[in-house]
Amino acid sequence: MALRTSKAETEAVIDMAELGARIAKRKAELGEPDLPRNSGANRTPSKRALLKAIKDAGGEW
Amino acid sequence: MSAYRPEFEAALRLFARVSEAMHQRDLPRPILVGGAAAELYSTSALTTGDFDLCTPYQAELESELRAFGFVRPSGTGALLKGWIHPQLRLGFEVVADAPMDGSIDNAHIRLVQPIGESALFRVISVEDLIADRMGQYSSGTARDRIDQARLLLQLHPDADLEYLERRVRAESGGDYGVADVQG
Repeated sequence: MALRTSKAETEAVIDMAELGARIAKRKAELGEPDLPRNSGANRTPSKRALLKAIKDAGGEW
Repeated sequence: MSAYRPEFEAALRLFARVSEAMHQRDLPRPILVGGAAAELYSTSALTTGDFDLCTPYQAELESELRAFGFVRPSGTGALLKGWIHPQLRLGFEVVADAPMDGSIDNAHIRLVQPIGESALFRVISVEDLIADRMGQYSSGTARDRIDQARLLLQLHPDADLEYLERRVRAESGGDYGVADVQG
């Protein structure tokens, strides 16, 4: 995993842009597979309420 | 061109700014887990706008979330533990004090710089995310999770296999290991 070191941190930092590019390249090599979304069958009442609130606010994820 | 959805990038920029506020208070940054972590490690459009976080400092984090414009959705009562950002139309929810009941190796928790933001956020490692999927598969509650685990490992051929073996064994009660994820 490509890492760089932040001046403000003592540990390695993953650059999200580099991470995404590397994954995209790997996905192309594998034939563009995608992870399926979860069915949502195991959601807690709190999670279902939060998702409803997001949808009611106009969120389209 | 970014591999991620613009709204996902925006959400993680906001998460990083909230995390930075915690860091400035000498508190640990919350840790991103769940579907949003899976989207980060796959670029697949997985999250449904809810971001699962772990922190032992829930009250302090919620104070910061309010400062960043998050509100409790009205009319949901005590049922709702999450917070919603009305403008960005996303939600954050503290699901535990620590990822995976505290079983992960803290040295494997990653620090990430989002696209277009200097602040940083923490996320569960891809190895722990795979182990989490295998644990759910093993428990029988979500038999499709092995497909997620296998694809995540395919996308990350540089994963720490020794750590992954240990973590998958731990999460599956010893029933599965790396070879099962590799298929």
